[in-house]
Amino acid sequence: MIGIATTFFWIFLAAFLVSAAYSVKDLHFDFGEPQMSMTSENKLLLSLPINIINEGYYAIGAFNMTTQLLDFNGSVIAKGSTFVPNIGRGENLTTSHNMTIEMGELLQHSNNYLFNDSELEVSVFAGMRLAELVPVGVSTNLSIPWGAPFYNFTLGEPSHERFNRTHLQVTAPISFENHAFFDIAGNIQIKMYNSSSILTGESQISFEAPQHAPYNGYIELFVPITSFTPDGHFEAYFLTSVFNYGPMVISYG
Amino acid sequence: MVDKAVVRKIVFKALKATVKGILFYMAYFVLWSFISPLAEFIPSLQQIVETFVIIYVVLMILGELASGTIYQYFLNVAKALFVTLYLILELKGGVFSLTFNNLNFFVDFRMVLAVVVLLSLLGIAKTMLQAVNYLSEKAEYGAKLN
Repeated sequence: MIGIATTFFWIFLAAFLVSAAYSVKDLHFDFGEPQMSMTSENKLLLSLPINIINEGYYAIGAFNMTTQLLDFNGSVIAKGSTFVPNIGRGENLTTSHNMTIEMGELLQHSNNYLFNDSELEVSVFAGMRLAELVPVGVSTNLSIPWGAPFYNFTLGEPSHERFNRTHLQVTAPISFENHAFFDIAGNIQIKMYNSSSILTGESQISFEAPQHAPYNGYIELFVPITSFTPDGHFEAYFLTSVFNYGPMVISYG
Repeated sequence: MVDKAVVRKIVFKALKATVKGILFYMAYFVLWSFISPLAEFIPSLQQIVETFVIIYVVLMILGELASGTIYQYFLNVAKALFVTLYLILELKGGVFSLTFNNLNFFVDFRMVLAVVVLLSLLGIAKTMLQAVNYLSEKAEYGAKLN
């Protein structure tokens, strides 16, 4: 009797394992094009559509996808997780994997991301329970290019001319290229300091830079003649809907 | 007369072992056709499965040939132990992992392995009981002859 029972269980186990393995070929994952958008809290939302078609013999349990965005030091900048408790037999499920990136968080790690193109590491893990019993998983690390929103930001040498008896009109060219995958718009505030680090003037310009487009403009400041020196420094503040950053110190003269 | 009976018995055992071996190989052949696509990702899979089948079939045939003797039980225990240890060894303790083009796969077979170990232990327990029964029957038969 024990012999019959154990034989039955062995056959059942073998049939289950083979059919579960065979079912894997009828399990299809389709990843759509990643989409970027802004949330109401002005955070970047990275959304990856996932379509799962389970045509296998068994249901899939505990589908889990976790992604982590890492900086060059390996610190976690953003994390996203998607969990589907059950994908039944013959089910066609469409979901999306979302990851929210806060630019402020990114800039806390390095302001390099604002002005220089670089790469971000993405750590991906996807796991599930085949036939709701056998946990399987896959993990990988990817590098994705990061385009700087103020790539090659340049505040050129200021030129000045007399505006009135007390003030000079100082003009400085501003240029950069928006290499980011999102449009940016906002203000750049410039504060001008003379060689004694005394604030001599300040001004701001509004800008709009669509993604992958260059921006060229200039800023005008009105500086008292008495406090103007041929050398000194500027402080630039970047105020956008996505992030604020500053000061960036740029010498002149 | 006695020799003829012994030869018939041996031929019957050999036939039974052959039929069992063929049936087992056919089962392997059918099941392999289902899991063969996995061999593309796990190059050593075919070798692992074939080694398992060869050793299992050899132990099964030897067990059949030794049926009616105490060695049958030794071989059955060896077969059950082989199944358990081979699977534990090849499945790296239950968590099988594989790296393929910067992708790290893992399959957690621990639950399956637990069932395999339980079934093997059940098989060993059954064989032990059969061996005890065989020895007691033999002792009883010997006592009756005396």
